[in-house]
Amino acid sequence: MRILLAEDNKDLARTLKLALQDAGYVVDHADDGEEAHFLGETEPYDCIILDLGLPVMDGVTILEKWRKEGKKTPVLILTARGGWSDKVTGFDAGADDYLTKPFHTEELLARLRALVRRAAGHVQPLLLCGGVRLDPRAARASVNGEPLRLTSLEYRLLHYMIMHQDRVISRTELVEHLYDQDFDRDSNTIEVFMGRLRKKIGSDRVETVRGLGYRLKALPEESALND
Amino acid sequence: MTKDPGSQSIWGSLKARLQWLDRTLVGRMIAYSAVWFIVSFVVTAIGLTALFQKTALTRFEQSVGQMADNLYSDTEILSDNRLAPPALFDTRVGRIDSGLYWQIYEGEGTPKSNLRSQSLWDRDISFSALDLARARKEAGRPVYFNSIGPRSERVRAGIIYSVIENRSFYFVVAEDREVMDKEVARFGAFSSVALFVISIGALLAIWGQVRLGLKPLFSLTEGIEALRNGQASRLHGQYPIEIMPVADQINALMDHTQHSLERHRTHVGNLAHALKTPLSVLMGLSERMAYDQDPRLNELREQVDKQVVSMKSQIDHHLRRARIAARSSNLGELTDLDSLLDEMSIMMEQIHHQKGIVIDWRCEEGLHFHGEKQDLMEIVGNLLENAAIWCRHKVKINASLEPNQILSSLILIIEDDGPGLSEDRYEDVLKRGLRLDESRPGSGLGLSIVDELVRAYQGYINLDRSALGGLKVSVKLPGQVVKPPSEIH
Repeated sequence: MRILLAEDNKDLARTLKLALQDAGYVVDHADDGEEAHFLGETEPYDCIILDLGLPVMDGVTILEKWRKEGKKTPVLILTARGGWSDKVTGFDAGADDYLTKPFHTEELLARLRALVRRAAGHVQPLLLCGGVRLDPRAARASVNGEPLRLTSLEYRLLHYMIMHQDRVISRTELVEHLYDQDFDRDSNTIEVFMGRLRKKIGSDRVETVRGLGYRLKALPEESALND
Repeated sequence: MTKDPGSQSIWGSLKARLQWLDRTLVGRMIAYSAVWFIVSFVVTAIGLTALFQKTALTRFEQSVGQMADNLYSDTEILSDNRLAPPALFDTRVGRIDSGLYWQIYEGEGTPKSNLRSQSLWDRDISFSALDLARARKEAGRPVYFNSIGPRSERVRAGIIYSVIENRSFYFVVAEDREVMDKEVARFGAFSSVALFVISIGALLAIWGQVRLGLKPLFSLTEGIEALRNGQASRLHGQYPIEIMPVADQINALMDHTQHSLERHRTHVGNLAHALKTPLSVLMGLSERMAYDQDPRLNELREQVDKQVVSMKSQIDHHLRRARIAARSSNLGELTDLDSLLDEMSIMMEQIHHQKGIVIDWRCEEGLHFHGEKQDLMEIVGNLLENAAIWCRHKVKINASLEPNQILSSLILIIEDDGPGLSEDRYEDVLKRGLRLDESRPGSGLGLSIVDELVRAYQGYINLDRSALGGLKVSVKLPGQVVKPPSEIH
């Protein structure tokens, strides 16, 4: 397992490096933003530990660049700032987890294990519908390469619809697959989630078939491309 | 001896009222002008009435004097020494009790009645010795005095003394003055009422003038109050040039305060965050210290760990307090609740992905939070985190608007399907940093932070049992929610 540790405090970096090596990881260390970005871009790491307050280039910018370049390596953010708005900024930039300083080494190792395990889960085929891609292994979706930020309920909805694309799916069927038995199923639940999903993936992609239900379809120009 | 408490309290309230008058500008101006009006109008009313009375009396005396003069010049002494009165024009003298009388007395010191008008019948017009003396001094000319008439009415009389053919005569004419007195009284009453009405009107005019004139001052006061309440960050509006400098200075002061607050906030933040990296080093180093035979080393390791954790929670707590205290009242900021709940739910599911939690968020369409976005994120973040830690799998969050004519409130309800809390512990969890279950991660329940923030917004937080089985937290934030018209579909 190979890990990139981007941390500018030399003492902390040294301590962490030793702890990570003890845990069996191979560790590369970068102490400024530019170096971290370059290494993350070029080397095939299993996980990256990224301090947000790096000199030259800050962590959020680096992370956004990686994600834009299509890098999917799981990233754990390390920062002194623990406010929820800081966390949201980190996750929006594409972080997979977040740890505020100071922390127990045990906690860091546990989070790393979880991230690596998730990334290395069973290989499952990607699901495609036109420009919509769904990666069941990483529980991620994208539209035309742009990553989608979906809640788990929206993700479930999209997953079910992409599995049954080009078929009209009734509301009842969707409700049953979306919710457990004991969740309350108020009448407009599906409309609410469908509305949100349409907003995120583009409203043309979901067709409402009056009286019957919904159908997920590729856009005309995309289906022509697929043919 | 003690005073009667009743009178004391009346005196006290009167005194308080007077003090209030003295303390307000309007009160002072009205009180001082009221004193001036009362004094000057009373004097004016008395003076005018006296003047009017004097004029009326002079006119009255002229007619009485004229008649006395006629009586004196036209009375003849007949050859048998009897007197022959002239025929006077006024027919009233021939009618009994008519109000116009004449009488002729003869003799020097104590004169005796010689002749009288028919209106007198057999009665006299009384006078004093003093009146006689005055008449003798002014012989040939009328002298006036007040007397009582035959019907015991008040009369004004004129008396002329004259010596004719060595006989002393007093020619007296008296007339009822009731009509004149009534007229004078009416004039006095009328002028008093008129002056009273004028002074009330003038006081009202002064009050209005002062209110209107000082209006910018009152609006300045209101503006400053809004500043203090955090409803505004600056004084807006146009003020007259006399008080514009005050408004400008206050704005400058506000800006200065805001800047230094923000500077301090940044400093405090930087300090806090700068401390955390060395703390991480300390923690990491102590953890790397292998368990040793030496118990002192083990103790050191444990202590470092414990103290670092405590320092972290202290730093976070005080950082948050500083943030709440330095909250800038940025009224312009509107946060879309829909996207905030979406972002935070996605993040929270991601943080707790191992547990596989599902967050079902609902929000009334078009709701916007009218306050600092960071504060709302802290509130929602801590509540969701708490729910995510304690739930089995499900968390629900609902945002809605509680309409009210004056202030619409934002209502946030967060529920989970975890074990919940027993009612007697509801109060404890809102206390600072108290952890009910040390075995679960997270710094306390996070609810105390939320409670503090919600209070800063004059809202409140309520705990209850959820239908899902776990805890139900309701937060009410008054006046912090809007639905822009363009957002309503």
